[in-house]
Amino acid sequence: MTKVLMKGNEALGEAAVRAGCVHFFGYPITPQTEVPEYLVKRLPEVGGVFLQAESEVASINMIYGAAGVGVKCLTSSSSPGISLMAEGMSYIAACELPCVIINIMRAGPGLGGILPAQSDYFQATRGHGHGDYQVIVLAPSSVQEAVDLMTLAFELSETYRNPVMVCADGMIGQMMEPVEFDREGRGPPLADNDWALGGADGRERRIVNSLYLTPEDLDAHNRKLKAKYDLIAERERRCDLDAGDEPADLLVVAFGTMARICKSAIDLVRDEGLKVALFRPITLNPFPFSELRAAMDALSERGSVLDVEMSMGQMLYDVRLAAEGSRAIAFYGRAGGVVPSPDDVATQIREALST
Amino acid sequence: MSGAVSPLPPGLVADDVRVLMIVGAYGSGKTEIAVNLAIALAQSGRRVQLADLDLVNPYFRSREARRLMESHGVRVVVPPGALASADLPIVMREVPGMLQPPEGVLTLFDVGGDDVGARVLSSFRPLLHDGAYELWQVLNERRPFTSDRAGCVQAIRSIEASSRLRVTGLIANAHLIDETTADVVVSGCRLARDVAEETGLPLRCVAAMAPLAADPAVAALDAPVLRLVRHMLPPWSVRRSAATEESALPAAHPIPIGKPVAVHPANGREGAAHG
Repeated sequence: MTKVLMKGNEALGEAAVRAGCVHFFGYPITPQTEVPEYLVKRLPEVGGVFLQAESEVASINMIYGAAGVGVKCLTSSSSPGISLMAEGMSYIAACELPCVIINIMRAGPGLGGILPAQSDYFQATRGHGHGDYQVIVLAPSSVQEAVDLMTLAFELSETYRNPVMVCADGMIGQMMEPVEFDREGRGPPLADNDWALGGADGRERRIVNSLYLTPEDLDAHNRKLKAKYDLIAERERRCDLDAGDEPADLLVVAFGTMARICKSAIDLVRDEGLKVALFRPITLNPFPFSELRAAMDALSERGSVLDVEMSMGQMLYDVRLAAEGSRAIAFYGRAGGVVPSPDDVATQIREALST
Repeated sequence: MSGAVSPLPPGLVADDVRVLMIVGAYGSGKTEIAVNLAIALAQSGRRVQLADLDLVNPYFRSREARRLMESHGVRVVVPPGALASADLPIVMREVPGMLQPPEGVLTLFDVGGDDVGARVLSSFRPLLHDGAYELWQVLNERRPFTSDRAGCVQAIRSIEASSRLRVTGLIANAHLIDETTADVVVSGCRLARDVAEETGLPLRCVAAMAPLAADPAVAALDAPVLRLVRHMLPPWSVRRSAATEESALPAAHPIPIGKPVAVHPANGREGAAHG
């Protein structure tokens, strides 16, 4: 297929259409506004529905309704808007409905700024709303990967009947790169199922509900959800390892845009003869714990780990969990929209290797 | 770059052009072309001032190349200080004055994408009579909504409608950033020719990144070739952080146009007026 040049946000929108999603509900916020801006032009071409809601709270509840009647649906926002969607996400997860949510992360906390950040890692992976629920979180590091993960997001959300979040920093949303799509035109709708609402004519009625007043029933529901999350954790971990010359003396861990900058930095220091590997989680939830641990175990005897994020250290907690104290872990992070340069990271790598 | 042959085709920007505005759909490459034109024109001895009028894009705006352009003697007008990285529709108060530049000065506007980005120009309509400006639309065949003639014409008409100005020329800039090939450039030039024929607009030039501009297939095109250097780079492609360099600058202030720092009386007044 012919490659086209697309902004990350537009490519996410197009990938959704090709995954069969033609229902979008959302509200503008920088730096994700090109997602709705693209879809408002694109969805009428494929007979879809674009609706600009009055708020993010409304958007996520429209998603709740659309998912409930069994259509593939999408909303997108950026950090503060995602905070507003927390309650709705909890309801959707509780009711086991499929939907995809895009978060193009900007710098926080509060209103923060419009520049890129990765500081919604906790929010994405540790639960936005209340209750024992989880969302699958995918983190692209290029526009092409954003397209590929969008397709995967709809597949996973349908397979597990669970919200899936595509979580990218503002740089991925805003930058343009050539992309190709592996499917032409509008993708298929959700497969026939036994849960979607839509009129009980000639069949048993179905109920979408998250209210369980009997404690034993709610306990059982939570256990069922937990078993599903465990299955997802077992099956759906994804990551990328650039091991370099083994055994490496330092393992850099980074995701999204930061991983690409780290790759440039590692290319610089490898030219100096330093042995450095790069581990990039693609699924932030489920986090690829065993794969990261294996990469740590493959380091040289005194090899250590450097975690780099555009945050004050959030994925760092999962990196520590993976290490279980087996390796020394250093951290380098910038916030506020400051994007570390390859030189900055190279300096941190040299420092980590000299101590 | 200095000492090299000018990347600018001779006569591309006529000496009597006072105001040149670059418009186009998102991703057409307006900013890259505006920055390259500003630098090349300054290098060719023109006195150039550029205003970043992109009110719709939050990242990758010409203000990110402010320092580079200033180092070539281009006067760059962008929102001051922290406002430069805001997503607020700020039109600097210098901008209306730039529409009637002093004798010998060329004003370049880097305008935001699509009709929404070009809307800002409509407020200047009363200050601009036909013939007092050039408005060049950049076309990239490899973008979703401008991949055929109808899409390009629609893009031109919608920008004209929202800006209340007339497009006066086309720039063929088909590209896929790093993955651009000579075929991409040649095909984009063919499309731009078709659009030029349908609209009656002149094709001003074909733009291509430096190595491709020398490709025989590109050089053989019957259009002048504007040789580009890529300035809008993603953070993993620049070793040093542009943000760091930018923040090391003193607070934004108007600088005189052209090198050496010979202050034209009109510019001096403008500079003094700026708080």
